[in-house]
Amino acid sequence: MPLRIDVTCAPALTVGEIMADVMNVGVNLEAFSQAINAIQALRSSVTRVFDSLKDGMKNKETLEGREKAFIAEFQDNLQSVNRDLTELERLSNLVGRPSESHPLHNSGLLSLDPVQDKTPLYSQLLQAYKWSNKLQYHAGLASSLLNQQSLKRSANQIGASAKRRPKVQPSTLVLPIQYVDDVISRIGRMFPDMSIELFRPNGTSAVLLVTLGKVLKAIVVMRSLFIDRTIVRGYHENVHSEDGKLDIWSKSNYQVFQKVTDHATTALLHYQLPQMPDVVVRSFMTWLRSYIKLFQTPCQRCGKFLQDGLPPTWRDFRTLEAFHDTCRQ
Amino acid sequence: MGVTCVCQVPVAEGKSVQQTVDQLHKKLEQLGAVKQGSFFVDCETYHATGNASGQPSKLLYVMHNSETPLSCMALFEGGPYLTADANFDVLMVKLKSHFQNAKGHKVESRGARYRYCDFLVKVGTVTMSSSARGISVEVEYCACVVPGDCWNLMKEFMQSFLGSNVPEIPSVFTSKPEGLFAPADCMDTMSQYLELFSKVRKQQVLPGSSVR
Ligand SMILES: [Zn+2]
Repeated sequence: MPLRIDVTCAPALTVGEIMADVMNVGVNLEAFSQAINAIQALRSSVTRVFDSLKDGMKNKETLEGREKAFIAEFQDNLQSVNRDLTELERLSNLVGRPSESHPLHNSGLLSLDPVQDKTPLYSQLLQAYKWSNKLQYHAGLASSLLNQQSLKRSANQIGASAKRRPKVQPSTLVLPIQYVDDVISRIGRMFPDMSIELFRPNGTSAVLLVTLGKVLKAIVVMRSLFIDRTIVRGYHENVHSEDGKLDIWSKSNYQVFQKVTDHATTALLHYQLPQMPDVVVRSFMTWLRSYIKLFQTPCQRCGKFLQDGLPPTWRDFRTLEAFHDTCRQ
Repeated sequence: MGVTCVCQVPVAEGKSVQQTVDQLHKKLEQLGAVKQGSFFVDCETYHATGNASGQPSKLLYVMHNSETPLSCMALFEGGPYLTADANFDVLMVKLKSHFQNAKGHKVESRGARYRYCDFLVKVGTVTMSSSARGISVEVEYCACVVPGDCWNLMKEFMQSFLGSNVPEIPSVFTSKPEGLFAPADCMDTMSQYLELFSKVRKQQVLPGSSVR
């Protein structure tokens, strides 16, 4: 006789879980409490089946009598299991289905955890869910924007460098030191009036000291081949702090170079091409080099040298033309 | 130390030295310049004595500048120029058998110091034997070190408060070879003051221009 062990699965649902759904969905409460009773009945009848099996045959005068009595009892027990199960199935149809529309599916049930105050799991879960949704959304936007962004000035060079180096890994934060050195020294050779010294004061991240003619000095802090931040100072200003280290923090004493620092930071955000960080560095350096005539070029819009005491500190990202900060668009 | 230009500004017609200086102050303040203390530059003249070889004796000028209070500048006519500690003056007293102080030749310029963006402007009254002889204007563009690079820019700035009295590029700069570079000391500035002072010395005493 087949023993339907799977009946024990139904009673495995805890009362708490079922209660939770009741409160959530607002199902037939009457049927529900009957169903709970039915579950209890089913459990005890199943228990009786196994009890009688465990106890074995009871002492009777004849062996035949023993077997008969055992089989009869076993059949009785199974029938009551069957009855209880049928009853439970009937009731469960009345109870209605647990909510499936909950956006978090079963994890939504966490909200009914009575120890909520001690372990705010549910609110944290919601928060995490929201964040991960947002992150995905923004990452999608950013990636489509970045892909549109092409560096027109360097567009002709992209093809060439892409051919030479078939693929730059997306994890460009772990480029080998030697590769970074090569890229920087190649850029340095492109511009004779611009000297680029490379330092690694703290581990593998490079810091560049760019000296542009006798006009300015720029400190460029790199992370692998990405430019992290930059600060521009006058040619005759200190680039080292008192302890002899490169001073990557203090701003220039001169307003004109403070302004150029601001614009250089804007340029860092403008020149972005995550797949080809070396093109970005080269574009930035080309842009920075246009400051070689910082004090010699009048504004392309108003034609004057000074406005509010400052020379044209802005350089157009595309044409490299000089403008006063207030004269650009 | 940036690029500096020192020039003489003529006294406005019908005005006294002080009135012209006040006018300049007013113009600077209208521009947005902020007064930042005062300044002075002075110059004493020494004759070399005991000239045995019969060569014409050179003049030695000993100058001070409030921008570099710990230094003293000594300039021979036509060079060489040197920068020394401030107690160089004491040494000159000890050397009086060789260098004689030309009394009454002491010239100085004193006045207010203005800051405007990266510019430093000093408007001074030039006095000699306690009489006002003229007005000096020193403009320094602190952010740049190459005179040839920023001259047009400085000229435009000076026009904004000097009008037509803007000078030509100082000869100290034009006489230098390409790749003009103002050194870190103030010798270029001092030689410009020296030039201005010797012009003033030759000038007629302005009527009714006594100060103090
Ligand atoms: Zn403009």
